[in-house]
Amino acid sequence: MTDFRRLTGIFMAAMGMILSAPQAFAQQPDRGDEPGLIADDGYQLDPEWQKQVVYYRTTEPPGTIIVSTAERHLYLVQPGGRAIRYGIGVGRDGFQWQGLVTITNKKEWPDWTPPAEMIQRQPYLPRFMAGGPGNPLGARAMYLGTTVYRIHGTNRPDTIGTKVSSGCFRLVNNDVADLYDRVPVGTKVIIRQKPEL
Amino acid sequence: MMRTFRGGLLIGLAVAVLVAVLATIYEFYDTRTLKRTVRRGEVLCGVNKGLPGFSIPDDKGNWSGFDVDFCRAVAAAIFNDPGKAKFVPLDASERFKELQSRKVDILSRNSTWSMKRELDYDLYFPAVAYYDGAGFMLPRSRNKETSLDLTGSKVCVQSGTTTALNVADYFRVNNMKYDEMKFDKLDDVVKAYDTGKCDTLSADVSQLYALRLNLSKPGDNMILPDMISKEPLAPVVRQRDDDWMMIVKWTLYAMINAEELGVTSENIDEALKSKKPEVMRLVGTEGNYGEQLGLTKDWAARIIRHVGNYGEMYDRNIGEKSKLKIPRGMNQLWNAGGVQYAPPMR
Repeated sequence: MTDFRRLTGIFMAAMGMILSAPQAFAQQPDRGDEPGLIADDGYQLDPEWQKQVVYYRTTEPPGTIIVSTAERHLYLVQPGGRAIRYGIGVGRDGFQWQGLVTITNKKEWPDWTPPAEMIQRQPYLPRFMAGGPGNPLGARAMYLGTTVYRIHGTNRPDTIGTKVSSGCFRLVNNDVADLYDRVPVGTKVIIRQKPEL
Repeated sequence: MMRTFRGGLLIGLAVAVLVAVLATIYEFYDTRTLKRTVRRGEVLCGVNKGLPGFSIPDDKGNWSGFDVDFCRAVAAAIFNDPGKAKFVPLDASERFKELQSRKVDILSRNSTWSMKRELDYDLYFPAVAYYDGAGFMLPRSRNKETSLDLTGSKVCVQSGTTTALNVADYFRVNNMKYDEMKFDKLDDVVKAYDTGKCDTLSADVSQLYALRLNLSKPGDNMILPDMISKEPLAPVVRQRDDDWMMIVKWTLYAMINAEELGVTSENIDEALKSKKPEVMRLVGTEGNYGEQLGLTKDWAARIIRHVGNYGEMYDRNIGEKSKLKIPRGMNQLWNAGGVQYAPPMR
């Protein structure tokens, strides 16, 4: 059943891409989303983006997620002045945001329905894609407040450490699964941005 | 007639000698480092002879490193030219005496700030450039998250170092058992660890990252985020030379504030047009802090343009863009998880 769903998804994505290819190239091709591509599990992240425990001093309680857009790191605050640090991919310039939200929903191998604004900008994207290894949302998704943004996995591990998304935060599938198991719905998420001049 | 001419000659000679003597005495006793530096046309920096990431010359004699860059920042503030920093390699044993005897203007040489050093040598450590401390390296496969999990470990450490003492204190106060394996030479400590003779190696964290590079499989080893001692590394200047001390201190603080305000070597021209008061005071488009320091309005802009902000200096030499890849940790800004905190420039 799952396999069938995956195949359908990949097929739809592929069709979507073929049909919209001319427009896609006429527009700026988006190297961040590549629906249908199967994630390379053997991909080695640079040490900077590998999950690790680091010193982290904060007044936020353990269990809080702090996203540092400028650094391209996501911190999960731990007791004792430390945090688990994950490497992330963030929004392109103009697609970054900041604020305080909570995790409102969690999904494993989520389906992808790109929001209308995204379709408008990138008409070559599929209107719907079933969850699976070729899905740009990857292995897990955590919904941020009432926004269209998510913390999610990816089928493009090479985009970790870059700014390519439409405002979502992506982790490699192993990391997003690890984070998923550590944070419940209701977790506080603080998104920090670089100061403006 | 002849007598008056000879007399005049003698008086002239006497005046010339007197001036020469006075000039020599003035040069020798003028303790104002800024004036001496400007007259000389360069800043003399006492640095480590070779410490990867902090201060090391390449085969052509070009210096690089965190400590080296800090000294270049001081030169940039004064001369608008980071190349006006001249590096004088100094041994650990002689460094404070050499600074005292004015062989160098500033010591930027991974030196731990301690009360005894300020008192014994009449020196002053203006501000902490890098928070270091003793820590632990261990194989990733041991899957530990904190040094409190190291009970029962065999710990490799260099004998005669403060690290050995700190390790002993740490295990004692936490009621943890351990076996100490001491070696006289650092190379032997590393070899013992690399061949599995001990479970963990202890040294200053900055050193652990450098040592890890030379292991047979660097990636299989991790450094715990804990520090069990305080080793605040700071530049050093002589006491009773406040003008110079202020320049060194605010050079570092300008770099830290620049990072906090988002001013970098890449956007400095944009920053000079900023209308944000804090940015304007930093880059000198408002206020006259530069002149008050004895420098120019744009002193801090010069630093940022030529050397960058604190984060840029860190990343390039010891951070993620360097070979060492030391996470920012305590050296992250105070509002981003660390303790680096610069007083405001207002």
